[in-house]
Amino acid sequence: MKVSYNWLKEFIDLPLTPEETAEKLTLIGLEVEETEEYGNSLEGVIVGEVLDVRAHPNADRLQICDVNLGDTKTQIVCGAKNVAAGQKVPVATVGSTLPIKLDDGSNLTIKKAKLRGEVSEGMICAEDELGLGTDHSGIMVLDDSLKIGKPISEIFDLYEDTVIDIAITPNRPDATCHLGVARDLSAALDLDLKKPEIKSGKTVETSDDVKISIENAEKCHRYVGKMVKGVEIKESPSWLRNKLKAIGVRPVNNVVDVTNFVMYEMGQPLHAFDYSTIRGKEIVVKDFEKEVEFETLDHVKRKCSTGTLFICDGEGPVAIAGVMGGVDSEVSEETTDILIESAYFDPGSIRKTAKEQSLQTDASYRFERGIDPNMQAFAAERAAQLIAEVAGGSISEETIDIHPSKTEAHQLSLRKSYTNRLLGTEFDIQTIAEILDGLELNEISRDEDTITYEIPTFRPDLEREVDLIEEVGRLFDYNKIPSPDHGIFVSSEAINDWEKLNQKIRETAQQLGLREIYSNSLIAEKDAALYGDKDQMIDALNPLNKDNSTLRPSLLHGFMKSASYNFNRKASGVRFFELGHVFNADKEGTYYEGIKEDVHVLFGLSGLKNVDSWSQEAQSYTVFDLKALVNAFFNKLGLSDHLSSRSVDAETLEYHWKDQKIGTLFIPADNLKKAYDFEQESFVAELSVTTIAEVLEAVPESSFRSVPKYPSFEFDFAVIVPQQVTAGEMMDVIKKKAGDQLEDISIFDVFEGESIGKGNKSLAFRLHFLDRNKTLNIKEVEPIIQRIVKSLEKDFSAKLRG
Amino acid sequence: MLDDIKVLEQDIQQFEIADEDQLEAYRLEFLSRNGRVQSMFKNMGKVPKEDRAEVGKAMNQVKTLAESKFEDAKLSLEQDQSKDLGAKDDITLTPPSYPLGSLHPLTQTLEEMKSIFYRLGFTIADGPEIEDDFHNFTALNFPPNHPARDEQDTFFVRKSDDPNVQDLVLRTHTSPVQIRLMENTKPPIRAIMPGRVYRNEAVSPKSYFLFHQVEALYIDENVSVADLKETLITFAKLMFGSDVKYRLRPGFFPFTEPSLEMDVWWGSEKDGKWLEILGSGMVDPNVFEHAGVDPEKYTGFAWGMGVERIAILRHGIDDIRTFYDNDIRFLEQFN
Repeated sequence: MKVSYNWLKEFIDLPLTPEETAEKLTLIGLEVEETEEYGNSLEGVIVGEVLDVRAHPNADRLQICDVNLGDTKTQIVCGAKNVAAGQKVPVATVGSTLPIKLDDGSNLTIKKAKLRGEVSEGMICAEDELGLGTDHSGIMVLDDSLKIGKPISEIFDLYEDTVIDIAITPNRPDATCHLGVARDLSAALDLDLKKPEIKSGKTVETSDDVKISIENAEKCHRYVGKMVKGVEIKESPSWLRNKLKAIGVRPVNNVVDVTNFVMYEMGQPLHAFDYSTIRGKEIVVKDFEKEVEFETLDHVKRKCSTGTLFICDGEGPVAIAGVMGGVDSEVSEETTDILIESAYFDPGSIRKTAKEQSLQTDASYRFERGIDPNMQAFAAERAAQLIAEVAGGSISEETIDIHPSKTEAHQLSLRKSYTNRLLGTEFDIQTIAEILDGLELNEISRDEDTITYEIPTFRPDLEREVDLIEEVGRLFDYNKIPSPDHGIFVSSEAINDWEKLNQKIRETAQQLGLREIYSNSLIAEKDAALYGDKDQMIDALNPLNKDNSTLRPSLLHGFMKSASYNFNRKASGVRFFELGHVFNADKEGTYYEGIKEDVHVLFGLSGLKNVDSWSQEAQSYTVFDLKALVNAFFNKLGLSDHLSSRSVDAETLEYHWKDQKIGTLFIPADNLKKAYDFEQESFVAELSVTTIAEVLEAVPESSFRSVPKYPSFEFDFAVIVPQQVTAGEMMDVIKKKAGDQLEDISIFDVFEGESIGKGNKSLAFRLHFLDRNKTLNIKEVEPIIQRIVKSLEKDFSAKLRG
Repeated sequence: MLDDIKVLEQDIQQFEIADEDQLEAYRLEFLSRNGRVQSMFKNMGKVPKEDRAEVGKAMNQVKTLAESKFEDAKLSLEQDQSKDLGAKDDITLTPPSYPLGSLHPLTQTLEEMKSIFYRLGFTIADGPEIEDDFHNFTALNFPPNHPARDEQDTFFVRKSDDPNVQDLVLRTHTSPVQIRLMENTKPPIRAIMPGRVYRNEAVSPKSYFLFHQVEALYIDENVSVADLKETLITFAKLMFGSDVKYRLRPGFFPFTEPSLEMDVWWGSEKDGKWLEILGSGMVDPNVFEHAGVDPEKYTGFAWGMGVERIAILRHGIDDIRTFYDNDIRFLEQFN
């Protein structure tokens, strides 16, 4: 909200500069976002007479002028074509500042200069350079009768101000006007607050001029009507126009300007009706049980849903209550009699309508936050008096005040003990009272520990004791609250296993040479469809756009997209990992029924492992690069001994603990890569961290074992098996038959060829056996090997190679 | 005798060994079985007894000289040979690149924050990204239809007309984890709660519809604004350096009362400006009541800050979207 520094000064004798005022406002909770200078007093700009104009010897476009400034004569270099001897012109003398913004944000100050070798002392100004208009076609030529040397400020209506832009928090409806902001400053700076004086009229409930009724008293607590008859609609006087223009409000006419003025002055939105347009001399505040179409002032025909509150005349709606008036009852040049509306509407009702219509007006902004419910008559009187002042006419004696839902000021007690406990201060009750003085709270009673106040109705945010404590804190200034005598933390809390696991996963992935990525959790519906049944996924009901509508069911999209992004930018290969939440429909759900929210980790390799170089040819990643990485990962977590893997198909390997699936290692299909516009070899493993955490809880923690004293015994053998038998199946059997002494198993040769028969392959296994109590020899190992070979022969038709 | 030894010594010193053949010739002449050094020792018998000590010493010196000259020459010849290098024996050739792992800059910033909080004795907690209306709003003192809800444009996941069924939303802040902690733990509570949050806001260089927050919560019997202030200042000093210039000012959050924000001065004395780094306050009594904590017995403070915001400040990143593009050329700057 824009606040005028000049306007504030009408309520308080502000001893601060605009900058100091802005700083103070921020420190008491009215955060200033920006201060901006408005207008200019044009000090040092005076009337000059051009005596002579001659060509500049070194520049075609410039001319040299001799100018008479009254006391002195001076030479000024001027670029305008229309400058001529005999003209009276505005001259910015050396040292004056013009409202022309420089790159660094400051205004142009005129200095003595040499332009292409000719001295220039001052500047002959165009209209826009003085902020007096928009004309920049040439210098401004003034009336010939003006006295030379006369300040421009005495000729034109100049206005200078500083505009302070405040971000008003939702809890401070009282600060949405100049009087409210001034009140806060008066409380913080201990200054007197001068409020406008208003003569009040006679309050009545009925009048011959207009009959007012409220049908829905929940939505409209109060409606005040005030008539001013015989006004002349015209442009507002300059004081009024300048005040509004400074805070960015476009002047309309004297009546509308007054209603706006009063709103920015004291926070009460007002509406002025052309009385002659009010059919049936009747105002009814009501809502309808059906949708209503209504054309607002901005010439938009709006569909308003059931329950929208309207101001109606004898025949139908004339305004959407608290949001915007209609076209038909607008004040126009022909208007002579005015009905001023000053009402209190329920914040929730206005908020709903404003949201539905996507229409936030200065009025709805204030009603939504909750204006003072006891200000309506006062504001209507203030507006009537100002209208009479600027538009003539006579104020009706009567003020029609329909007030079915009254709000009484409530009382609130503040304990010294609780205040000090919460703030960490040692205030006595008198200090607290002094800090709060100026907020216009009415002290009802006081003892050593407690003050009781009656809370004015313009502060609906002060509901509880703690709200008053906040007032003490902010007006005292949090920066001044002393440090506690002693440190507050004496003991540390332990870090939980879940966090340790997440940390370890990140560390390990980093050690494995992977780069962490952060990808979007909201993905496009069409991308989501690549990953399975859309019905099993969770959507945002109100997505920003269709590219970000479905919650990721896995981390795969993020990897594919990031890989594609980098390949498009000439990356040769990527090694990524990501840790994040994924979402799937699930009957039971994790936290909420129907939604499974899991934490996953993804490892992905894609493209080239090595680029072409003098020492080696380019090499793509293989699935075994990723498998090695996943094995190292499980090893690091201490899970290697507890997990099993099995292939689902040629491209997919699943990791299990007992019957529980931990995750999958797979080769994304070509058509999936195609959807992301790349072809590079890609390998992905995605594991459930949630499940890993459960497994780690269940399995015994690995304990230290002394380094074996005896060497292991190595035994190699090769078998020929049919092509379709997998190494994994065979190793499962080998492990089972080998027993506890088997330390390690690996495959050192894979061979296929005519020599071993078509449809066959040869696998060569290397087994390491270890006995912790003795050195094993061939005699002890041989029977085990025989057992193994026998099983392989039986289960897979394997033949031992000689 | 000593003169003969002297002659031998000079011959050894003057023998030129420039290649393998000369090395062999040298060996044959001086060090072989019948070489001159051995022959010299054979003459020992002829030396008078009283001179033997002196002569023996001289003979040994000559032998050592002969042997070390041979070894030096041999080594030097070998090194000369190794200078005969192939094109690929060039140590200045470029190696293949080595894959470096890295943590995302947001993780790095978050880890830095965590370590500060760990030093202050905080533990860590987390919660779901999909929350119900109660945890995300109502329990945090955002009444239904309150303008404060507008400030956090919300993505809905499930909406119901039945007032008994909670709407589900993508959490707009990490504060719901506060409620979960209070529901499940008896004070004192001291924890931070990092995580991903969502706001239905247009994407621009300055805002994205998801970002990351860290929430801190401390509840005990006599926690005050003074304690909060002290913790904030400690944090700012550890995060931004002990000479950081800061200020506290009142703010507004529905779930804290009073509410405070902290600004730090960024840039030079002259051209810098105040930048908001976090919001904080004393836990609102309504929040305590919603979460089943007695507000007359306990007080507490809570604060929250944006991880992106701090990371952007620290690294001078100009576009928040860069964090989610995962461009390697961006990531590798945070090795």
